[in-house]
Amino acid sequence: MRKGRVRWLFAGSVAAIAVAVALSASAYGSSKAGKILVDGTTETVTNIDPAGNYDYGTATVDYLIFNRLLAAGPGKNLTPHPELATKCSSVGNLKTWACTLRKGVKFSNGDSFTSTDVKFSFDRTIAINDPSGISSLITNLASTTTSGPYKVVFHLKHPQSTWLQVLTTTAGSMIVDHKVYPANKLQSSTSPQVGTGPYILKSYNPGQQAVFTVNPHYWGPKPKNAGVIINYYKDSSTMKLALTKGEIDMAYDQFSPTDLTSLKKSSSVKVYIGAGAGIRYLVMDVGKQATKLGVPTGKLAVRQAIAYLMPRQTIASRVYHGQVSPLYSMVAKGLPGHIDAFKTLYGAKPSVAKARAVLKKAHVKTPLKFTIWYTPTHYGAASADEYAEIQRALNASKLFNVTLKSAEWAGYVNTLGTTKGVFQLGWFPDYVDGEDYINPFYPKGQFLSNGYNSAKMNKLALKEEGAKSTKARLKIIKQEQMLAAKNVPLIPYWQNHMVAVARKNVGGVTSTLDPTYIMRFWLLSK
Amino acid sequence: MAVASRTAPGRRFVGRRLRRLWSPIAHTQGLARVMLLSGASITLFFIVLAFFARWIAPYGFTQYAAHGVRFPQLGHPGGVHPFGTTVESDDVLSRVIWGAQTELKVVVLALVLSLAVGVPLGLFSGYFGGALDRGLVLLMDAMFAFPPLLLAIVIAFELGSTVSSGVVTAAVAITIAYVPQYFRVVRNHVISVREETYVEAARALGARPMTIIRKYVFFNVVQNVPVLATLNAADAILTLAGLGFLGYGVQPTQAAEWGYDVQRGLSDATNGIWWTGLFPGMAIVVLVTGITLLGEGLNETTNPVLRRRRFGRFDFEPVSPMFAEVEPPLQPDEGLGE
Amino acid sequence: MTGTSLKTYALTRLALVVPMVLILLTFVFLLMRVAPGNPIAAALGGHVPPSVIQRISHRLGYDKPIYTQYGDYLWGVLHGNLGRTITDRRAVSSIIVENGGATLELTVAASFVAMVVGLVVGLLAGRFRDTWIDVSGRLFGIVAYAMPVFFLGFLAQLLFGIWLGWLPTSNQASPITQAFLPVHSHILFIDAIWAHNWGALWDVVKHLILPATTLGIVIGGVFIRLVRINVIRSLKDDYVEAARARGIRERSVVYRYAFRNALVPVVTVVGLQLALLLGGAILTEETFNWPGIGSTLVSYLAERDYAGVQGIVVVFALVVVVASLLIDFVNAFIDPRIRY
Repeated sequence: MRKGRVRWLFAGSVAAIAVAVALSASAYGSSKAGKILVDGTTETVTNIDPAGNYDYGTATVDYLIFNRLLAAGPGKNLTPHPELATKCSSVGNLKTWACTLRKGVKFSNGDSFTSTDVKFSFDRTIAINDPSGISSLITNLASTTTSGPYKVVFHLKHPQSTWLQVLTTTAGSMIVDHKVYPANKLQSSTSPQVGTGPYILKSYNPGQQAVFTVNPHYWGPKPKNAGVIINYYKDSSTMKLALTKGEIDMAYDQFSPTDLTSLKKSSSVKVYIGAGAGIRYLVMDVGKQATKLGVPTGKLAVRQAIAYLMPRQTIASRVYHGQVSPLYSMVAKGLPGHIDAFKTLYGAKPSVAKARAVLKKAHVKTPLKFTIWYTPTHYGAASADEYAEIQRALNASKLFNVTLKSAEWAGYVNTLGTTKGVFQLGWFPDYVDGEDYINPFYPKGQFLSNGYNSAKMNKLALKEEGAKSTKARLKIIKQEQMLAAKNVPLIPYWQNHMVAVARKNVGGVTSTLDPTYIMRFWLLSK
Repeated sequence: MAVASRTAPGRRFVGRRLRRLWSPIAHTQGLARVMLLSGASITLFFIVLAFFARWIAPYGFTQYAAHGVRFPQLGHPGGVHPFGTTVESDDVLSRVIWGAQTELKVVVLALVLSLAVGVPLGLFSGYFGGALDRGLVLLMDAMFAFPPLLLAIVIAFELGSTVSSGVVTAAVAITIAYVPQYFRVVRNHVISVREETYVEAARALGARPMTIIRKYVFFNVVQNVPVLATLNAADAILTLAGLGFLGYGVQPTQAAEWGYDVQRGLSDATNGIWWTGLFPGMAIVVLVTGITLLGEGLNETTNPVLRRRRFGRFDFEPVSPMFAEVEPPLQPDEGLGE
Repeated sequence: MTGTSLKTYALTRLALVVPMVLILLTFVFLLMRVAPGNPIAAALGGHVPPSVIQRISHRLGYDKPIYTQYGDYLWGVLHGNLGRTITDRRAVSSIIVENGGATLELTVAASFVAMVVGLVVGLLAGRFRDTWIDVSGRLFGIVAYAMPVFFLGFLAQLLFGIWLGWLPTSNQASPITQAFLPVHSHILFIDAIWAHNWGALWDVVKHLILPATTLGIVIGGVFIRLVRINVIRSLKDDYVEAARARGIRERSVVYRYAFRNALVPVVTVVGLQLALLLGGAILTEETFNWPGIGSTLVSYLAERDYAGVQGIVVVFALVVVVASLLIDFVNAFIDPRIRY
């Protein structure tokens, strides 16, 4: 190379380095950044307008900018307690409920909060009837009336003892400013959102970021941080990388088991594991549905045998490294009324002998050949490992010859029991009560299409709905669980834990980990 | 000349044609020969692995225990498991070997299907021309604008639920993405061959189209197909791996597939577990490199355009990323000495 | 067949744009409708009774006959209305602008890297043909293309992000920077310059390095071959021989004649490989959590968001078709044989 060239190259590289140093020095000012909490998540957001979303990711955003009438949690306090309503009670017959509202609350734009806003919020949720399905939570609501600026009355279609639980969900209960939101269509996610919550949504970049600053008009205690940024990730390992590098301060839920195990060993972050309310279960077609599809689970003995063989411990420890706990009832543990029905009937650990015995007694020829379905996309890649273990346990007993099949989520969920004989599903509750773990699956109108229809169960469900006292209701829920275990159309096998991982300088995380699954960022400090 | 060759005995004729196809390969030298041989040996190695997987692989692809003892989960490479074990306690070495079978199955299926559809379509469309040709060209050009991976994903949706064999899903998806490529190459060559004087002469003498296609056009055109086929085999493997990475490919209990293993392995690697992703990943790279070298070698040998200038400065048919131009057809009276 | 005028060729090709886009549109529409599942079931399945899903699907018209739905969709498109996505009610046009901007940033940077890699290595390989430089250059090109882009990207993340710690591993910019940078063009690089925020610009560049280089190297592997072959061919041309005969130095010959000629087909191939580039962008975006149009498309596909998928694919198809049209014009201009 000629001398002149070399000189140019040298000068060029020196200049480049100088520029790089200068640029990094003038990086973004850190004073503002100091107290803003940066959180990562793999959840997605649909419509921020509370009348238009029914998913966890959007609910997380909504909890920061809106309030409900009643709240559940934080901590062990799961019964509904006052938020925007100071008192709520039934007026007589469980069909009419009256709430007294909190005075002096202002929206983030200064508007006053009154009963008009409450009626407006509920009315519009029903009127908009958004395809997200959120209005299905309040189908029992006939009408809402106001009585003065601080009193609201709910008129239900039929009596419901758990109406207050429904008021703690996001359906209609998230109060919006009637002056800002249209009455019969959704407010776009990128338009200003006005609520009474601890934060204001400063900006929302779909699929990338949601930025929150503190609401100066908030009626409650000031949040412990100066703001929150939620960063959205497609993939938990990318999120984990960002966490270890310090690009985000914390992340919660949806970690792969291997990620979590290694995070536990890391010195820069702390792993918090709290109670959880999500469950995973195996659905089996019964009766005529099973015969139509040619799966052997139509016979009770076959289902019982599978229940005897379910490898809960292997799944919890080997596949999920302790991130989930074995579950012995469709009702999540920690909820009032939970009993380990499956443990009572089928034992805590798998038993090949008992499975063999029950099949022999029913004169069922083995090995039984059938297919089990799962989905690798919706519930995480570990589903493949989970079902590999179930297949291994069943095949190792020599009583079954199971093949696994899978489909990605949208194709999978399109037809459940109608085309799949035995398949995987998961559930997270709308409200944290045993009822929400029984009604979707067992009584008439359940959505699994697996052919289960028990007159006895239907009767119990009706009784539970109209129960006069909590004690009576819980008693019925226990009966329902025992019947469910006896009939065993479904086998629950694990319950998850809410997991949050935060860098060492983030405080207050334990205060928000509870079965309500709500990440209350205003309690976290940096 | 054309008439004389038409009356030559059939077998000798075919033998001569094949010899002519083979001669440039037999006479390679230098770098081209090295590439050809190394590419061929790598590809052959994987073909052997694929065919004899049952005997070469120490364990099954979803075997998690031996003699009643479970394999360790995510065990370090060494000892009984030279490549370590996966999160499902499967042996990585076995999955890499069995994976060769899956990759080759997919590639063979995809190539057979695309050749069976693309080559005849290109032949007839190029030879007969007209409205059918125009329509097909339009259709194929439109399909060509579609990113193959995207197409593969959507087709995986369609087939994934009903035909739950991941291999067939991926193969069909890749086929549909590459038929336009074969179509284009074959058609363009048929068009140029069609204009040659010897073909005109045959037509003037009353030869039927099928005869002309069979005798003159097919062998000339098909010379370029092996080169394109190696390219497509390489792309097929990469697309299958991409599908596996996105989660739409073959599931681990159905078969061992490198792309899926790499996907699971990537999240392991951030936790210090490098062996579950590295070995399948390297397998993909080595096999695709081998196939590409084979293609490069073939291209160098059957493509003397680097020594001859027939179509001018910028002749190339960028039908595929790898190859800038494809060989103009050899004349039937070359090298025959008739 | 040969010798049609350039004008006729141009008009013919232009006229074919509409049918081509229509074909793609129809193809995507059919694929999406034929695929099992619909957006409502995908969103609510496993959580509400099928009757609710039925009711909502009916309200949105998903159980109407396919040709009716097709007609409705076509009508909307012809009026320039690409609609809103079903799952998150984003206007498709804003998706194209916002996420398209991110992909544009990535692909332009990657193309730049690819061209630099391709030109430098290809030129050297062609110039020093059959030497070890040539061999290693070509081998590099082959292996670069043989590497799945997500594998390479991931190795890069591991090496530069974790072990060396020099570069960030995901996203377009660090969260705080992105949160407070005013948005104008939806391309962060440009927005940072717009705001005269040099710290933010450096942050954006740092985040761009790994994904652009990864994708660029993989695509560059292709260009190496192309450049090399055209350099070799140019070096054999008569006028190059003449220049050599006139005593012009070899290096000048190479740089002034062969190199420039090598450039032309590279530009052409960039356009024709748009489909490839966007396919590679999908995987790169997934690996680096880059919020581009490729990864957005993958999400909508999984959610069966008909409007989202159709809208994005239509715009993308238009871009590819128009680009290949322009490039074919250039080609036809140069070589009269390549015409209808």
